Amino acid sequence: MSEQTGKQLSKEEKDARFEAELLPVLAPLYNFAYRLTLDEDDANDLVQETYLKAYRFFDYFEQGTNAKAWLFRILKNSFINEFRKKSKQPAKVDYSEVEGYYNTDDVEGEGGVATTTDMRTESVQDLIGDEVASALNALPVDFRTVIILCDLEGFTYEEMAKILDIPIGTVRSRLHRARNSLKEKLEEYAKSMGYNS
Amino acid sequence: METEFTEAYQRTSAEGRETECEKVANILDLVIDGEASTDEQHFFNSHIEECVSCFESHQKQKLLKSIISGHLKRVIVPDRLATSIKARIQETV
Ligand SMILES: [Zn+2]
Repeated sequence: MSEQTGKQLSKEEKDARFEAELLPVLAPLYNFAYRLTLDEDDANDLVQETYLKAYRFFDYFEQGTNAKAWLFRILKNSFINEFRKKSKQPAKVDYSEVEGYYNTDDVEGEGGVATTTDMRTESVQDLIGDEVASALNALPVDFRTVIILCDLEGFTYEEMAKILDIPIGTVRSRLHRARNSLKEKLEEYAKSMGYNS
Repeated sequence: METEFTEAYQRTSAEGRETECEKVANILDLVIDGEASTDEQHFFNSHIEECVSCFESHQKQKLLKSIISGHLKRVIVPDRLATSIKARIQETV
Protein backbone atom coordinates (compact mmCIF):
# COMPACT_ATOMS: atom_id res chain seq x y z
CA MET A 1 0.00 0.00 0.00
CA SER A 2 1.53 3.25 -1.03
CA GLU A 3 0.49 6.85 -0.92
CA GLN A 4 0.87 7.26 -4.64
CA THR A 5 -1.80 4.71 -5.55
CA GLY A 6 -4.12 6.54 -3.18
CA LYS A 7 -3.94 9.85 -4.99
CA GLN A 8 -3.93 8.59 -8.53
CA LEU A 9 -4.81 11.40 -10.85
CA SER A 10 -7.31 11.14 -13.63
CA LYS A 11 -5.87 11.58 -17.09
CA GLU A 12 -7.44 15.03 -17.32
CA GLU A 13 -5.88 16.10 -14.02
CA LYS A 14 -2.54 14.67 -14.96
CA ASP A 15 -2.56 16.36 -18.37
CA ALA A 16 -3.55 19.68 -16.84
CA ARG A 17 -0.79 19.51 -14.24
CA PHE A 18 1.71 18.41 -16.86
CA GLU A 19 0.88 21.34 -19.08
CA ALA A 20 0.88 23.84 -16.26
CA GLU A 21 4.15 22.75 -14.71
CA LEU A 22 6.28 21.48 -17.55
CA LEU A 23 5.22 23.27 -20.72
CA PRO A 24 6.45 26.68 -19.49
CA VAL A 25 9.98 25.27 -19.77
CA LEU A 26 9.50 24.68 -23.51
CA ALA A 27 11.44 27.72 -24.74
CA PRO A 28 14.63 27.21 -22.68
CA LEU A 29 14.43 23.48 -23.34
CA TYR A 30 14.17 23.93 -27.09
CA ASN A 31 17.00 26.41 -26.96
CA PHE A 32 19.17 23.92 -25.08
CA ALA A 33 18.29 21.16 -27.56
CA TYR A 34 19.19 23.41 -30.44
CA ARG A 35 22.55 24.33 -28.90
CA LEU A 36 23.32 20.64 -28.42
CA THR A 37 22.25 19.39 -31.85
CA LEU A 38 22.76 22.58 -33.89
CA ASP A 39 19.83 21.51 -36.05
CA GLU A 40 16.22 22.67 -35.83
CA ASP A 41 14.60 19.35 -36.78
CA ASP A 42 16.79 17.41 -34.41
CA ALA A 43 16.08 19.87 -31.62
CA ASN A 44 12.39 19.49 -32.36
CA ASP A 45 12.59 15.68 -32.10
CA LEU A 46 14.69 15.80 -28.98
CA VAL A 47 12.27 18.12 -27.20
CA GLN A 48 9.24 16.02 -28.15
CA GLU A 49 10.98 12.90 -26.93
CA THR A 50 11.88 14.64 -23.69
CA TYR A 51 8.29 15.66 -23.01
CA LEU A 52 6.98 12.18 -23.80
CA LYS A 53 9.48 10.67 -21.36
CA ALA A 54 8.61 13.27 -18.78
CA TYR A 55 4.95 12.40 -19.23
CA ARG A 56 5.64 8.72 -18.73
CA PHE A 57 7.56 9.43 -15.53
CA PHE A 58 5.40 12.28 -14.36
CA ASP A 59 4.18 10.29 -11.35
CA TYR A 60 7.73 10.41 -10.03
CA PHE A 61 7.95 14.14 -10.41
CA GLU A 62 7.23 15.89 -7.14
CA GLN A 63 5.10 18.95 -7.44
CA GLY A 64 6.93 22.15 -6.62
CA THR A 65 10.40 20.72 -7.26
CA ASN A 66 12.67 22.04 -9.95
CA ALA A 67 10.81 21.20 -13.16
CA LYS A 68 13.34 22.99 -15.31
CA ALA A 69 16.32 21.04 -13.96
CA TRP A 70 14.37 17.79 -14.22
CA LEU A 71 13.50 18.36 -17.89
CA PHE A 72 17.00 19.48 -18.76
CA ARG A 73 18.33 16.28 -17.21
CA ILE A 74 15.96 14.10 -19.22
CA LEU A 75 16.83 15.93 -22.41
CA LYS A 76 20.55 15.66 -21.83
CA ASN A 77 20.24 11.92 -21.17
CA SER A 78 18.17 11.41 -24.31
CA PHE A 79 20.75 13.31 -26.27
CA ILE A 80 23.60 11.17 -24.99
CA ASN A 81 21.88 7.80 -25.05
CA GLU A 82 19.94 7.92 -28.26
CA PHE A 83 20.71 10.95 -30.26
CA ARG A 84 24.48 10.80 -30.26
CA LYS A 85 24.33 7.13 -31.24
CA LYS A 86 22.03 7.84 -34.17
CA SER A 87 24.18 10.58 -35.62
CA LYS A 88 27.20 8.37 -36.06
CA GLN A 89 29.54 11.22 -35.27
CA PRO A 90 32.52 10.04 -33.28
CA ALA A 91 32.92 11.70 -29.93
CA LYS A 92 35.79 14.12 -30.37
CA VAL A 93 37.64 14.00 -27.09
CA ASP A 94 36.78 12.62 -23.72
CA TYR A 95 37.19 15.66 -21.56
CA SER A 96 36.89 13.72 -18.36
CA GLU A 97 40.43 12.54 -19.09
CA VAL A 98 41.88 15.99 -19.00
CA GLU A 99 39.70 17.88 -16.61
CA GLY A 100 41.16 16.15 -13.58
CA TYR A 101 44.26 18.27 -13.96
CA TYR A 102 42.45 21.48 -13.25
CA ASN A 103 43.76 21.95 -9.76
CA THR A 104 47.35 21.23 -10.60
CA ASP A 105 48.58 22.84 -13.76
CA ASP A 106 45.73 24.69 -15.35
CA VAL A 107 45.33 27.56 -12.97
CA GLU A 108 48.67 29.12 -12.44
CA GLY A 109 48.35 32.53 -10.97
CA GLU A 110 46.42 35.00 -12.99
CA GLY A 111 47.81 33.42 -16.18
CA GLY A 112 45.42 30.53 -15.72
CA VAL A 113 42.46 32.79 -16.15
CA ALA A 114 43.66 35.53 -18.43
CA THR A 115 44.79 33.90 -21.64
CA THR A 116 47.95 35.06 -23.31
CA THR A 117 46.19 37.01 -25.99
CA ASP A 118 44.53 40.18 -24.93
CA MET A 119 40.78 40.27 -24.89
CA ARG A 120 40.08 43.91 -25.52
CA THR A 121 37.06 44.95 -23.62
CA GLU A 122 35.60 47.36 -26.15
CA SER A 123 36.19 45.17 -29.20
CA VAL A 124 34.56 42.08 -27.79
CA GLN A 125 31.61 44.09 -26.63
CA ASP A 126 31.06 45.10 -30.21
CA LEU A 127 30.61 41.53 -31.30
CA ILE A 128 27.03 40.87 -32.10
CA GLY A 129 24.90 37.86 -31.33
CA ASP A 130 25.80 35.88 -34.44
CA GLU A 131 29.50 35.92 -33.67
CA VAL A 132 28.88 34.91 -30.08
CA ALA A 133 26.73 32.03 -31.30
CA SER A 134 29.36 30.94 -33.83
CA ALA A 135 32.06 31.00 -31.19
CA LEU A 136 29.90 28.96 -28.85
CA ASN A 137 28.89 26.48 -31.54
CA ALA A 138 32.53 25.89 -32.40
CA LEU A 139 33.15 24.46 -28.93
CA PRO A 140 32.88 20.73 -28.15
CA VAL A 141 29.39 19.80 -27.00
CA ASP A 142 30.41 19.22 -23.36
CA PHE A 143 31.84 22.73 -23.17
CA ARG A 144 28.84 24.27 -24.90
CA THR A 145 26.58 22.52 -22.47
CA VAL A 146 28.10 23.91 -19.27
CA ILE A 147 28.20 27.43 -20.65
CA ILE A 148 24.54 27.31 -21.67
CA LEU A 149 23.47 25.84 -18.36
CA CYS A 150 25.46 28.29 -16.27
CA ASP A 151 25.60 31.56 -18.15
CA LEU A 152 22.40 31.47 -20.15
CA GLU A 153 20.04 29.46 -17.96
CA GLY A 154 21.50 30.44 -14.61
CA PHE A 155 21.61 26.98 -13.06
CA THR A 156 23.69 26.61 -9.90
CA TYR A 157 26.71 24.30 -9.81
CA GLU A 158 24.68 21.86 -7.75
CA GLU A 159 21.84 21.81 -10.28
CA MET A 160 24.33 21.39 -13.10
CA ALA A 161 25.94 18.46 -11.29
CA LYS A 162 22.53 16.79 -11.09
CA ILE A 163 21.60 17.53 -14.69
CA LEU A 164 24.92 16.22 -15.99
CA ASP A 165 25.48 13.40 -13.47
CA ILE A 166 28.95 14.60 -12.62
CA PRO A 167 30.53 15.84 -9.35
CA ILE A 168 30.54 19.56 -8.61
CA GLY A 169 34.35 19.61 -8.92
CA THR A 170 33.97 18.37 -12.48
CA VAL A 171 31.35 21.03 -13.19
CA ARG A 172 33.83 23.66 -12.04
CA SER A 173 36.76 22.36 -14.04
CA ARG A 174 34.71 21.82 -17.18
CA LEU A 175 33.25 25.30 -16.93
CA HIS A 176 36.68 26.77 -16.44
CA ARG A 177 38.05 25.03 -19.53
CA ALA A 178 34.97 25.86 -21.54
CA ARG A 179 35.32 29.55 -20.74
CA ASN A 180 38.98 29.57 -21.70
CA SER A 181 38.12 27.97 -25.05
CA LEU A 182 35.29 30.38 -25.63
CA LYS A 183 37.54 33.30 -24.81
CA GLU A 184 40.03 32.13 -27.43
CA LYS A 185 37.31 31.77 -30.05
CA LEU A 186 35.94 35.22 -29.34
CA GLU A 187 39.40 36.70 -29.59
CA GLU A 188 39.85 35.01 -32.96
CA TYR A 189 36.61 36.56 -34.17
CA ALA A 190 37.56 39.95 -32.81
CA LYS A 191 40.85 39.76 -34.66
CA SER A 192 39.31 38.56 -37.91
CA MET A 193 36.94 41.49 -37.77
CA GLY A 194 39.84 43.87 -37.66
CA TYR A 195 39.76 44.81 -34.02
CA ASN A 196 43.31 43.69 -33.61
CA SER A 197 45.11 47.02 -33.52
CA MET B 1 36.86 42.35 9.99
CA GLU B 2 39.71 39.91 9.51
CA THR B 3 38.78 36.30 9.14
CA GLU B 4 41.07 33.35 9.64
CA PHE B 5 40.81 32.78 5.95
CA THR B 6 42.21 36.15 4.93
CA GLU B 7 44.92 35.98 7.54
CA ALA B 8 46.11 32.76 6.01
CA TYR B 9 46.68 34.65 2.79
CA GLN B 10 48.22 37.81 4.21
CA ARG B 11 50.81 39.15 1.86
CA THR B 12 54.11 38.99 3.64
CA SER B 13 56.56 38.46 0.81
CA ALA B 14 56.81 38.16 -2.93
CA GLU B 15 56.02 34.51 -2.53
CA GLY B 16 53.02 35.29 -0.40
CA ARG B 17 51.71 37.57 -3.11
CA GLU B 18 51.93 34.76 -5.64
CA THR B 19 49.86 32.54 -3.44
CA GLU B 20 47.17 35.17 -3.11
CA CYS B 21 46.86 35.66 -6.86
CA GLU B 22 46.77 31.92 -7.35
CA LYS B 23 43.99 31.63 -4.85
CA VAL B 24 42.07 34.42 -6.55
CA ALA B 25 42.42 32.66 -9.92
CA ASN B 26 41.09 29.50 -8.33
CA ILE B 27 37.94 31.11 -6.99
CA LEU B 28 37.35 33.53 -9.85
CA ASP B 29 34.64 31.40 -11.46
CA LEU B 30 32.95 30.88 -8.09
CA VAL B 31 32.81 34.63 -7.59
CA ILE B 32 31.50 35.28 -11.10
CA ASP B 33 28.83 32.63 -10.72
CA GLY B 34 27.75 33.70 -7.25
CA GLU B 35 28.96 30.42 -5.74
CA ALA B 36 31.71 31.78 -3.47
CA SER B 37 31.37 31.56 0.29
CA THR B 38 31.30 34.75 2.36
CA ASP B 39 34.94 34.27 3.34
CA GLU B 40 36.01 33.64 -0.23
CA GLN B 41 34.10 36.68 -1.43
CA HIS B 42 35.62 38.84 1.28
CA PHE B 43 39.12 37.66 0.48
CA PHE B 44 38.53 38.17 -3.23
CA ASN B 45 37.20 41.70 -2.83
CA SER B 46 40.05 42.89 -0.67
CA HIS B 47 42.62 41.35 -2.99
CA ILE B 48 41.35 42.90 -6.21
CA GLU B 49 41.27 46.30 -4.55
CA GLU B 50 45.05 46.16 -4.46
CA CYS B 51 46.02 43.87 -7.32
CA VAL B 52 45.57 45.31 -10.80
CA SER B 53 46.16 42.09 -12.67
CA CYS B 54 43.56 40.14 -10.69
CA PHE B 55 41.19 43.09 -10.99
CA GLU B 56 41.56 42.91 -14.77
CA SER B 57 41.07 39.15 -14.84
CA HIS B 58 37.88 39.67 -12.92
CA GLN B 59 36.63 42.32 -15.35
CA LYS B 60 37.33 40.07 -18.32
CA GLN B 61 35.65 37.05 -16.82
CA LYS B 62 32.59 39.10 -15.90
CA LEU B 63 32.46 40.46 -19.43
CA LEU B 64 32.62 36.97 -20.91
CA LYS B 65 29.67 35.84 -18.83
CA SER B 66 27.64 38.91 -19.70
CA ILE B 67 28.34 38.41 -23.41
CA ILE B 68 26.68 35.02 -23.24
CA SER B 69 23.76 36.06 -21.09
CA GLY B 70 23.23 39.32 -22.95
CA HIS B 71 24.21 38.76 -26.56
CA LEU B 72 23.51 35.13 -27.35
CA LYS B 73 20.33 34.99 -29.36
CA ARG B 74 17.72 32.56 -28.21
CA VAL B 75 16.37 30.45 -31.01
CA ILE B 76 12.68 30.83 -31.65
CA VAL B 77 10.54 27.86 -30.71
CA PRO B 78 8.60 26.54 -33.74
CA ASP B 79 4.91 27.41 -33.46
CA ARG B 80 3.70 23.89 -33.83
CA LEU B 81 5.94 22.32 -31.21
CA ALA B 82 3.75 22.94 -28.17
CA THR B 83 0.64 21.85 -30.06
CA SER B 84 2.22 18.65 -31.26
CA ILE B 85 3.53 17.81 -27.78
CA LYS B 86 0.04 18.28 -26.36
CA ALA B 87 -1.44 16.14 -29.12
CA ARG B 88 1.00 13.31 -28.55
CA ILE B 89 0.32 13.39 -24.85
CA GLN B 90 -3.42 13.22 -25.41
CA GLU B 91 -2.86 10.03 -27.38
CA THR B 92 -0.79 8.55 -24.59
CA VAL B 93 -2.80 6.56 -22.10
ZN1 LIG C 1 46.46 39.28 -7.65
